[in-house]
Amino acid sequence: MIMKRKQIVVFTIMVLFAVVMIYPFYFMINTSFESNAQFLGASGHSFASWHKLFQALPVGRQLWNSTAVCVCSILIILVVSTMAGYSLAKLRSKLSWLYFLGIVGAMLIPLQSIIIPAYINASHLNLLSGYWGAIFLYSALGTPFATFLMTSYFRGLPDDLIEAAICDGLSYRRVFTKIALPLAVPAVVTIIVLQFIQIWDDLLVGLLFIQDPNYRTITVGLGALSAGRTTDIPVLMAGSLISAIPAVTVYLIFQRQLVNGLTAGIGK
Amino acid sequence: MKIKRRDLGHQRRRVGVFFMMPALILVSAFLGIPIIQAIYYSFTQWDGLTALWTGVSTYTHELRDPIFWRVLENNGLLLIGIPIAMLLPMGIAFLLNEKVPGWKIFRSIYFLPTAISWVVIGMVSLRFFAQQGLLNGILKGFGLGFIHTDLLSSERGALLAVSITFIWSMVGTNTIIFLTGMATLDNSLNEAARMDGASNYRIFRSITLPQLQRFIQFSFIITVISAFTALFSLIFVMTGGGPGFGTTTLEFFIYQSAFSRGDFGTGAMLGVILFLIMTVLGVGQLAIMRSKE
Repeated sequence: MIMKRKQIVVFTIMVLFAVVMIYPFYFMINTSFESNAQFLGASGHSFASWHKLFQALPVGRQLWNSTAVCVCSILIILVVSTMAGYSLAKLRSKLSWLYFLGIVGAMLIPLQSIIIPAYINASHLNLLSGYWGAIFLYSALGTPFATFLMTSYFRGLPDDLIEAAICDGLSYRRVFTKIALPLAVPAVVTIIVLQFIQIWDDLLVGLLFIQDPNYRTITVGLGALSAGRTTDIPVLMAGSLISAIPAVTVYLIFQRQLVNGLTAGIGK
Repeated sequence: MKIKRRDLGHQRRRVGVFFMMPALILVSAFLGIPIIQAIYYSFTQWDGLTALWTGVSTYTHELRDPIFWRVLENNGLLLIGIPIAMLLPMGIAFLLNEKVPGWKIFRSIYFLPTAISWVVIGMVSLRFFAQQGLLNGILKGFGLGFIHTDLLSSERGALLAVSITFIWSMVGTNTIIFLTGMATLDNSLNEAARMDGASNYRIFRSITLPQLQRFIQFSFIITVISAFTALFSLIFVMTGGGPGFGTTTLEFFIYQSAFSRGDFGTGAMLGVILFLIMTVLGVGQLAIMRSKE
């Protein structure tokens, strides 16, 4: 009986916390289906704010931009980090520890510390007019942790497996593409999920490195809309909702991989 | 046979270096070179085109600027929230660990903010703390209407609002870290201690906490890094750094110096200071972890 009462208390506290955590989503959804007048007091719901959002923001275009930037950046991160991780774990040479130190050290560099020179360099190289400036910077920012993750993953693969394949006449390159990579799918998925959410949700890089409004990502579009002091809250909430849906969907499907990625840093 | 072995070793090294190259070039070009440039330009007056060497005087000048210290003070005040941002999730993780019905769903709900951009979080938070916002609505609902809050209009109040939002969004991440830690706990130790008559508190302090140490450290470092470097978008959307310099943290100050005032030299220098702070924290953390092992 005591056990049961304790469970009820715990359950109640859990529900209260859940309300606190989920309230913003409720607010976002509910408000987006109100017109400004309804938000300010009138009763009822409507699609008025959704109509206005599509007039204020090229939503489809910006969703496409976000997708393009995410896909290209993640592809670069994956190619570069799986290769580097394989090299650091299985093709070690005398200089490997130095590379590893450099890569891990790069994780310590805050984005804000390099963003000014990076911005000036990108403008000299004419990388600010399309997607590429942002894509390269996102890739560079994601690579250190991804390489770290891939290195620890490949270290878990038995050396015998690779040596056996080499003895069978495969080159180191073929072993990578035919054996190591297919085995690394779980780590690759973790990187995709982590990076997708990070890049999709980013404001600072997109704000500075994508100068042409036509190429703006949805998060930047939304940030700009709110900084323009749009007072129409329901419109902003509709925009928030639509920008959040893709990342939330990815989160709901790949929660486990996200948790794996997060806790990989502890190094069990 | 011997020759073939050496050939293989040669091939191995060559492929090893070749595989390392793309990552090395990418990271050097977009992180390595810029950080070196940042250090160089931090000693100059720089408008983005021409740089004039001024030496350490940029630093000494900045260190005498009260606004700089005001900004660092804001960072310091944000750090006060860190114990809450860790203790609250630890409590939640303990409760979740009781495995009440539906605990997995609760876990997903608590972790959800991880997927949401700071832009969105900031926009909702802005409405929450607004004069006609939910916070005042709740107070009124409880018959506390006379406590009419207007956090965002005062410097300290706005920082408090940013800080509360920050804690809210860290809850999920830290809960997951502690839950992962608790899954590794060795329960037989608890039972043995209980047999010996140890109290619950004693068990928690002497058995559970030491086992969780690594996870507590990890959660601490993640929370500190976020407090210093993850709040740009939140501040951009919620307060724009104001009122006054009320919510201007170092990372936001960097952005303002360079991109609002065009003073790239000062921006670069502030970036170097932020980098130094993060390096000291990172190295310190590593040293503590090493000494314990």
